[in-house]
Amino acid sequence: MLTQLILNAFISASIYILIAVSFTIIFRVVRFFHFTHAVIFTAGAYFVFFLRMELSFPFLIAVPTAIFASALLGCLIELTIYRSLRAKSTPPLVMLLVSLGIYIVLQNIISIAFGDDTKIIRSNLITEGFNLFGARITFIQGLTICTTIILLLLLVLFLKITRTGKAIRAVSSDPELAAISGIESSRIIIWAFAIGSAICGLAGILLSFDVGMTPTMGLTALMMGLVVAIIGGLANVSGIVLGGLLLGLAQQLGIWKFGAEWQDAIAFGILLGFLIVKPQGILGKNTKKATI
Amino acid sequence: MLKIKKLETGYGEKQILFGLTLEIREGEIVALIGPNGAGKSTALKAACSLLPVWRGEIIFNDNIINNYTTAQKVAKGITLAPQASRVFGDMTVMENLEIAGFQLSRREFANRLTQIFEMFPLLKERIRQYAGKLSGGEQQMLSLARALVPNPKILMLDEPSLGLSPKLVNSIFNKIVDINIKTGVTILIVEQKVRKVLEICHRVYSLKLGKVSFEGTPKELVEDNLKLKNLFL
Repeated sequence: MLTQLILNAFISASIYILIAVSFTIIFRVVRFFHFTHAVIFTAGAYFVFFLRMELSFPFLIAVPTAIFASALLGCLIELTIYRSLRAKSTPPLVMLLVSLGIYIVLQNIISIAFGDDTKIIRSNLITEGFNLFGARITFIQGLTICTTIILLLLLVLFLKITRTGKAIRAVSSDPELAAISGIESSRIIIWAFAIGSAICGLAGILLSFDVGMTPTMGLTALMMGLVVAIIGGLANVSGIVLGGLLLGLAQQLGIWKFGAEWQDAIAFGILLGFLIVKPQGILGKNTKKATI
Repeated sequence: MLKIKKLETGYGEKQILFGLTLEIREGEIVALIGPNGAGKSTALKAACSLLPVWRGEIIFNDNIINNYTTAQKVAKGITLAPQASRVFGDMTVMENLEIAGFQLSRREFANRLTQIFEMFPLLKERIRQYAGKLSGGEQQMLSLARALVPNPKILMLDEPSLGLSPKLVNSIFNKIVDINIKTGVTILIVEQKVRKVLEICHRVYSLKLGKVSFEGTPKELVEDNLKLKNLFL
């Protein structure tokens, strides 16, 4: 029972972590709540559905194409809408409202195109599952955990080693100092949107393989991803991973003890607790009050 | 080399500079002094495109560069070491220098790094250390080094002595003179430690309420204490 509970926690944590990491990459460079991230998550799943079920593309082509399309969608939103608003020094609150508007429009387009019912991608990837240390796990759930681990390692390497990765960290840390260093932040923001949206789209694809898809799936997922990002400190990958595992474990314990209807209450209860007791997140440092 | 003509700018709707005019010639160290709120740092920010130019012109080597982005100005050879030794505290010294050399090719950066380590040998010993863990003096050295990495034609320094002990202030000022002599880079320096900066600069501008209130040589101010005092009243 305990093994199954821990395994389930890892499965749900994987999706939360992917959303939280992808959201944080974008949030740290644009510094506003990019609500449209929720529809990128949904779009990833529906891109695969369209390519696989409507156009009969093989999975090996449909999935990478859908990830690329998700990245492209994120970049297009940045290039056509956010960039011009940023140039006019639009306040973050207005940017948030704009991103909420884009989310609603795109989610409705998905609803009109595909309907509101749950769509399932028929695949031989979905099997009965196998035993792992006495717990049951399906192939797609195992793939979700492995993909998350590999992606996180690649992302950390990218941010640590490559020039663009370091520039993303610089713009995230101090945009003005990055500009003084000769970095065009607009170029780096596009990179952040491309990487963040690709990861978010992939998370949507992985979840849709497991439980199917609906046009509103992105909003619930983004909310959980946000809880993880905030308790992780909206900064480093390790904080987000710890946040994801904590939330996953707490939710699974809650489902076991009280029932599945309590999982959202548990998530937001943890968020409230952190915001009151440790607002800087799990690994965040306390900021000292200035004394004169 | 750099001319600022009738510059007007500010923050939001608050105007700080009211027709500021300056000229910095090649190879000079020019000091910008004046009381708090006179607009010294604002002038540097506008020159680097960190603030928009409302009216007036910024001319660099006979080209009007009002509409250039900060990064384009770095590419042209204008760099800034900002106030309070700002560095990327969560990055190592090496990463800070790499970011400063973002526009350089790998070979150009490697060459610059050799020269930078000759100027700042202490930084070479600290390359793996996080910049946020360096002492105030070391962070100021790193800030200076970062501004020099792109091989600038004009280096702007915003209060390089801020928050440093008197001993370190001397060391920083000596380093600035050293950089000017050895590399020939033109320097525009904003400084509150007036007597110190007057010792090292070739010309001086004093600002009051967003306008130039004095332009001349440091000698004129050093020899006339009353005049110097009046600039700050």
